[in-house]
Amino acid sequence: MTNERFRDKAWGRTIVDRRRLLGALGAAGSAVATNTIPAFAASAPRNVTDAPADSRVLQSQPFYGPHQPGVVTPRPAAGMIASFDVLATNRTDLVRLFRRLTERIAFLMKGGSPPELDAKLPPADSGILGPIVVPDNLTITVSVGESLFDNRFDLTAFKPVHLSRMSKFANDALEASLCHGDLSLQFSSNTPDTNIHALRDIVKNLPDLLLLRWKQEGSVPAMPPKAGGQPESARNFLGFRDGSANPEAGNAALMDRLVWVSDLREPAWARGGTYQVVRIIRNFVERWDRTPLQEQEAIIGRRKASGAPLAGGVEHDEPDYGGDPDGKITPLDAHIRLANPRTSEAREHRILRRPFNYSNGVTKSGQLDMGLLFIAYQADLTNGFIAIQNRLKGEPLEEYIKPVGGGYFFTLPGVTGEGDFLGRALFAAAGMAVSGQ
Amino acid sequence: MNLRGSVLAVLLLLPVEAPTRAHATVSPLDLVEPVAAYKLYVLDQLQSLVAGTRAFTDAVKAGDVARARTLYAPTRMHYEAIEPIAELFGDLDKSIDSRADDHERGEKDAAFSGFHRIEYGLFAHNSAEGLAPVADRLMADVTELRKRIEDLTLPPEKVVGGAAVLMEEVAATKISGEEDRYSHTDLWDFRGNVDGSKKIVDLFQPLIAKDDPAFAKKVEANFAIVDKVLEKYRTADGYQVYDKLTDMDRRVLAGAVNTLAEDLSTLRGKLGLD
Repeated sequence: MTNERFRDKAWGRTIVDRRRLLGALGAAGSAVATNTIPAFAASAPRNVTDAPADSRVLQSQPFYGPHQPGVVTPRPAAGMIASFDVLATNRTDLVRLFRRLTERIAFLMKGGSPPELDAKLPPADSGILGPIVVPDNLTITVSVGESLFDNRFDLTAFKPVHLSRMSKFANDALEASLCHGDLSLQFSSNTPDTNIHALRDIVKNLPDLLLLRWKQEGSVPAMPPKAGGQPESARNFLGFRDGSANPEAGNAALMDRLVWVSDLREPAWARGGTYQVVRIIRNFVERWDRTPLQEQEAIIGRRKASGAPLAGGVEHDEPDYGGDPDGKITPLDAHIRLANPRTSEAREHRILRRPFNYSNGVTKSGQLDMGLLFIAYQADLTNGFIAIQNRLKGEPLEEYIKPVGGGYFFTLPGVTGEGDFLGRALFAAAGMAVSGQ
Repeated sequence: MNLRGSVLAVLLLLPVEAPTRAHATVSPLDLVEPVAAYKLYVLDQLQSLVAGTRAFTDAVKAGDVARARTLYAPTRMHYEAIEPIAELFGDLDKSIDSRADDHERGEKDAAFSGFHRIEYGLFAHNSAEGLAPVADRLMADVTELRKRIEDLTLPPEKVVGGAAVLMEEVAATKISGEEDRYSHTDLWDFRGNVDGSKKIVDLFQPLIAKDDPAFAKKVEANFAIVDKVLEKYRTADGYQVYDKLTDMDRRVLAGAVNTLAEDLSTLRGKLGLD
């Protein structure tokens, strides 16, 4: 009740502030459009500490819908996965957790003014985005781990069919402190600060319900806009384009088949959800950078500069394995050939990858601790990621990568409107009280 | 201890006006009694700290490693209980309670002293060798600490703020088991911090409950959760080593402590203090 009132009040103020903000940014925006970069360089003297001006901070993504945002949403430049232990010990608190989480996410994705409290109290918001929280293209995607379906809440009978605790693959060196969790939050936005702001908001608002277990941030390198032609995939820290063979996220029918759960063997509440795979994959970049180009390309199965298949062409051309049965063009153990052999079976179990590059510091050996925050979504975890990863066993790329963490999660179906909240269908199916406020 | 003198001194420190938008009904005068009572608690803890440190350092100097090891945790618990006040004297706090990682050269650093330096010798090397000068200095430091606090008029905002500070202390360093890394007696410190915080909340409880009974009830419930878990690890003469704490109990403690830290961070504001 208090929250509703605050929201109304906050929004009255926000609309005014935001109109002013939009007006100011509109002027700057058109200057950029007509004159491009030199206009900025030639403008009035600036202080080195002036904030970079970018009208994209006002971009926002819809929160409500049959599916959660952040899955087929185009990937912005900054991402983060945070995994939590759920501290609720009974069903009432579990429902309270997901209601509260829903409220916070709805606010953070839309933006607005946090309440102003008495200055003698700690402020309601960390303030790192200023007094008006801008949406900055933020999406927060909530997924639950297999451990949430243990005996704590009597949810065992309602577990999605394929959801399991991630088990070690042959090349993995999993660190317990970087694995699993009852709940994962994927934050994506235009800037790392926006993701951090959102994480701090959630940590501050749910201290009795969630305990942070691990987190990993990542980024995606921007490229100059390309006039005409197909957009190109971003590059990973091996310098190769990543995601070239991704199914088109804009094709709703395809996403319904490959990403969103609709299988009748799945519990009814799970329809419209998806399986999330997170893997923290360290790359041995010094060694990779000391590997001959032709060897790098043979290991991946693509041209490094263009991303095209080894037979040539452009990035999104399909490699012709039928005409290359012995691997004379694309080696049989090349990463892309093992991952996706382009059979009809593999075609039906393609996964939607949405990864970020991460860089954490320096290892004890003085090497760079960096790699790929692999994130993928699929309707069928067993035939999706797990089958692909099993095919990749023994690939030559293994010498250059080491998965150290991550987990399997189930991304809950979307929140359909203001009366709804994340996980409501699951809790209702399990007989919990979910109506009213 | 002259209670009346302390009451007067506290009065002088209180704000004249009460611009308490967060809590309009608490008057500065209401704070006098609990602040004075808290000073008595602190002096009590200091007395135990000085007496305990005397026995502890005597054992160290006599080379009685076994006895020194048993006295380590119960002695420093009294320091942990009053840490927000003890920390007002940064020089002594550094000398008494700094950890190896506060020093550039870690355990080998010449400036590494106090409880944890002795802990390192007693528990990592099972030896009191070379610890006599460290023990002498620790004894001198806690004696000096008591003297300084006796002469100190406790600032009310430091007293009330201390409840949250103690919880921040637990949340940041105790929950990980890194405080007493050689002896693994973290649960004793944990108990000291929690008792110190609870003492402050109890003293101000009538004022808090008057204005926000729901808040008071929530805080009490979280202290009860912490108590319940800690009691599970109580032994005849103290607490089990930190490694015995199960993951599940560690999470329960972390949740209650984080929530207490969050809630108690509003206590100063609620009582109209800066």
